[in-house]
Amino acid sequence: MKVSLNWIKEFTTVNIPVDELVRKIGAQLGAVEETVDLEKKYQGIVITKVVSCAPHPNADKLQVCTIDDGGITPDVKRDKNGHVQVVCGAPNVAAGMLVAWLPPGATVPSSYGKDPFVLESREIRGVVSNGMLASASELALSDDHSGILELDSGGAKPGDDFAQLYKLDDHIIDIENKMFTHRPDLFGILGIAREIAGIQHRPFKSPDWHVEKPKFLSAEPKVGQLRLMGERPEQVPRFMAAVLTDVEIKPSPIWLQSWLSRTGIRPINNVVDITNYVMYLTAQPLHAFDYEKVKAASGADGVVIGPRLAKKGEKLKLLSGKEIELDEQDIVIATDKNAVALAGVMGGTDTEVDENTRSIILECANFDMYAVRRTAMRHGLFTDAVTRFTKGQSPLQNDRVMKFAIELLKDIAGAEEQLVLDTDNHGVLRPAVAVHVTDDFINARLGLTLSVKEMAHLLENVEFEVAINGPTLVVTPPFWRTDIEIREDMVEEIGRLYGYDNLPLELPKRDLTPPPKNPMIELKDNMRSTLSSAGANELLTYSFVHGNLLEKTGQNKGQAFQLSNALSPDLQYYRLSMTPSLLDKVHPNIKAGYGEFAIYEIGTVHNRAEKDDEGLPKEFDRLAVVFTADEKVAKAKYTGAAYYEAQRYLTLLFDKLGIGRHSLAPGLPEGGDLIDALASPYDTTRSATVKIGLSDSKKVTIGIIGEFKPAVQKALKLPYYSAGFELDISAISIARSRAKESTYKELSKFPKTEQDISLKVPADLAYSDLLSHINKVVDEIKPRETVTDITPVDIYQNESDTKHKHITLRLSIVSYERTLTDKEVNSLLEETAQAAKKKFGAARL
Amino acid sequence: MSYQNTEIAKAAEVLKKRLNELENKSDIIKDNELKALYARIPMLPDGERAAFGKEINTLKAELLELAGQDDEPHKKLEPIDVTAPFDINTEPDKRPRLLASDLGSKHPITSEIEILSDIAMRMGMEVVKSRQIDDDWHMFTSLNFPEEHPARDDYDTFITTEGLIAPAHTSTMQNRIISARKDRLATGQAISVLVPDRVFRNEDLDARHEHTFHQHEGVYVGTGVHVGQLLATLKTFLQEYFGKSLEIKTQPFYFPFTEPSFEFAVSCPFCSKQGCRVCGEGWIEILGCGLIHPNVLKMAGVDPTIYTGFAWGGGVERLVMIKHNIDDVRYFMSGKLDFLRQFA
Repeated sequence: MKVSLNWIKEFTTVNIPVDELVRKIGAQLGAVEETVDLEKKYQGIVITKVVSCAPHPNADKLQVCTIDDGGITPDVKRDKNGHVQVVCGAPNVAAGMLVAWLPPGATVPSSYGKDPFVLESREIRGVVSNGMLASASELALSDDHSGILELDSGGAKPGDDFAQLYKLDDHIIDIENKMFTHRPDLFGILGIAREIAGIQHRPFKSPDWHVEKPKFLSAEPKVGQLRLMGERPEQVPRFMAAVLTDVEIKPSPIWLQSWLSRTGIRPINNVVDITNYVMYLTAQPLHAFDYEKVKAASGADGVVIGPRLAKKGEKLKLLSGKEIELDEQDIVIATDKNAVALAGVMGGTDTEVDENTRSIILECANFDMYAVRRTAMRHGLFTDAVTRFTKGQSPLQNDRVMKFAIELLKDIAGAEEQLVLDTDNHGVLRPAVAVHVTDDFINARLGLTLSVKEMAHLLENVEFEVAINGPTLVVTPPFWRTDIEIREDMVEEIGRLYGYDNLPLELPKRDLTPPPKNPMIELKDNMRSTLSSAGANELLTYSFVHGNLLEKTGQNKGQAFQLSNALSPDLQYYRLSMTPSLLDKVHPNIKAGYGEFAIYEIGTVHNRAEKDDEGLPKEFDRLAVVFTADEKVAKAKYTGAAYYEAQRYLTLLFDKLGIGRHSLAPGLPEGGDLIDALASPYDTTRSATVKIGLSDSKKVTIGIIGEFKPAVQKALKLPYYSAGFELDISAISIARSRAKESTYKELSKFPKTEQDISLKVPADLAYSDLLSHINKVVDEIKPRETVTDITPVDIYQNESDTKHKHITLRLSIVSYERTLTDKEVNSLLEETAQAAKKKFGAARL
Repeated sequence: MSYQNTEIAKAAEVLKKRLNELENKSDIIKDNELKALYARIPMLPDGERAAFGKEINTLKAELLELAGQDDEPHKKLEPIDVTAPFDINTEPDKRPRLLASDLGSKHPITSEIEILSDIAMRMGMEVVKSRQIDDDWHMFTSLNFPEEHPARDDYDTFITTEGLIAPAHTSTMQNRIISARKDRLATGQAISVLVPDRVFRNEDLDARHEHTFHQHEGVYVGTGVHVGQLLATLKTFLQEYFGKSLEIKTQPFYFPFTEPSFEFAVSCPFCSKQGCRVCGEGWIEILGCGLIHPNVLKMAGVDPTIYTGFAWGGGVERLVMIKHNIDDVRYFMSGKLDFLRQFA
């Protein structure tokens, strides 16, 4: 909302510096986006009288004029009469005209702030021109550049300051609209002026025309008959229409153009300008129709107008030139035959006021804000009228605004008031309801100790009616404050007018009860610390993915929640698992020159098959890790499958998180849609299901680890040496909460013995099966009071015998009672080997 | 590709021709011409079988490649023992190992969330996560946004085909947070929660706009909670965050879920209000806040005549960008190691 300070000053006193005012507006009304000082823009422009005009000796279209500036401009060449010579190309220039002169040194206002054009004395085709005479367009008042602007103010004389005469010595304060969403009155200068008075703790008095109930002509007119349509939809609380005849369409007086152009509205003609001016002043949109055109659009029963809901398939050509097909929920203004305007949004082109208009119908109505909003959204039309109607204007202002506009039309356009019609508003227009609130209620919420009297003053300054009843304020809002409903609204009002900057600051008191911790967040932080300390990089990717990525990784799009309105095609679906998002980031980083890296993300996934207790899509917290190395690095650094690199990170994670008991089962996990989507990118020959034991007997699947399908590798250009895992974090959190006992082992005073055992086993025997069996056997047969640990040393396969492999394990054993002999350890290992032979056919080497 | 065996060479020509006419190119390996060749193998004399079989396989591979169904884009994945700690025949120095610790990094956004959460916890707040899909009721209605209210226009929300919403603010959790803890109020304890999480707005991407970003949301409900406490809490929180004493400034604002509502700014911690590249004119607008609207408390089952509360919501990206002088918000979600490893 662009606010002219001079316009504000028409309604209230401002006697603080502009900077201070802007600061106060920011603190007590709404954020100021920009303040533009117009004084500089119009500096030095002088009102002059054209004394003589003669044809330019060297140019057909130019005139050489002398002008009278009252002799006030210094340093300019004058003739013997004291007049100044200016060359002018405007066709309308003539002796006797009062015009705006831009002397040398002045800036052309329309170029101000862009690419400033500063005038000088220079020769134009051999004749010196001292500055220039300006058109309305050059003065940034309107688009009119057909000739120089003839000044219309009777009181002005040569030498007067142009800016002062038209109040252009102004500041434009642009206040952000967003904070006025609930304040219909602040979309008008009058409302802003009232608040500016209020925040200066100064009483405001609305102009009489705005508070007094107006009287309209009631006699039946001889010309300009009009009827309102009998019924109106409930979405139209009030509809007023006036007939005015004898209208002379012409440009508005300069003072009016000046108000409009300063606040960013383009002047068009006096009638349209008046409707805009009144709207900008009062926040009530108005619309003028050409009476004869409405008559032509009416049926045989005379001229009829009124609001109704549009009919299916009905069409309307708007002032913007666009023809729209109306919806049955759109409110239109119509005659008994056709729709002529889209109510609250825009007029129609068929009834537009033009230069031939002699009589007008002026509409001043109130529409349901939601209906207007729906219509605006439906047709993509966002006008100044929509901005105001969608904030909930008061229907109680229609008659006052109508009267004010009619008076202006009489003054400025020579109009004759013929008839003013109003709907039957019985039972529709309700007076404001008073809010009862105590000083304690207000003070408790602001942390203040204001008296009821102090509160009442603040409110009365902005024209609330306040009655004091002991500790209670009975506050009746003025009709324009449709936003006031509850006591908390008074807290805001009083706090704001008092000044939030003045509130005493005080932290809430609390006792020493610690807030409950969030184990999931703690676990995630732990995971991040563990992985990052192991050289992995955390990244974040979007929660949404392109359908292509789901396809490339073999996931089923039908399982994913789909966005219906995303601006970008990259955001079609909620992701079904985390792994594809990470795989998508591998190739770009390889290309950027990273030979090997581990990336991970902690995020949320969804699946249409899974609902939570609220009936909403269940949210699954996941950790995914991907390790990759390009061919060069992989060949130099690693042999064997990339799988084991991912497994190294998995093992680290479980060790550091204190979840020892996990196991890896060959192959992909099975389950419903959720698990299918999880497993989808992974290749079954090189993947394992990750399980953790919640107890000795109960194991649950918590994720997957493995390498990726060749098709996935190809589609996402992954290096062959790539592997990863994805885990469900809440399952880990549960396991972690149960894995409480310490794994600490008491230290022994006796030396530890280590011995290796090599076993030749069938090639397809799972390492874990061997290890767990050996662990079990060793536990059974080891001497009492000993602690053992078995670690892998080597896994070897002879090229000539691919049916077997050799596994070498290292047994470390220590006793708390004595030093163990080699013989004892040997026999322990021999017995273990025998057991392995019996179970797996293993041969000790 | 030329084939030694004339039978195969002839079949190859036929098959390649048919391939061109096929709609589903990979169907070419089901072609009878190819099957017939395979059927010939057992009938061939011992000496010829191997060479013939090899040529058929070559032909099949060629056809598949032509069909865009490259059978082996990478090394064929041979089964491995997934329960073993390393692969067969790997030398100790070629076994899997972790990357160097100094390469690792946490994402600057999650790091910042950890910092904010830590401050909140020290101030006595719980930390709770938000949702990534929610319903209209939590996102709008429970926050006192009337149906079709223009205030909803300020949130360009992503909507799913079912009409669910990708939350545009962490306030989508307010109702759940308050109602789950309302019993605490009767015991004299306050509800005091921070929600730092991901939010979404349906915007086009550029250096300053992301459709996916992070907010930190504070919710505090108790007895006698007032605006002065809100401002003091935020001032304390942000002074702790920036590690300096700050001035504060509020601007009235409108949010349907708070009354009154504010935009909250602090004096620039980098230039002491002199005006600099970060702040422009001495102040940094850092979050929106206000006293929780009585309707929001009511909908969460809390009596607003007894209890009052405040809430705030601010962006995390902005804080990180200010801290590290990052000029493009898109880097955060880019997954670029060039970016991420700078936060090692």
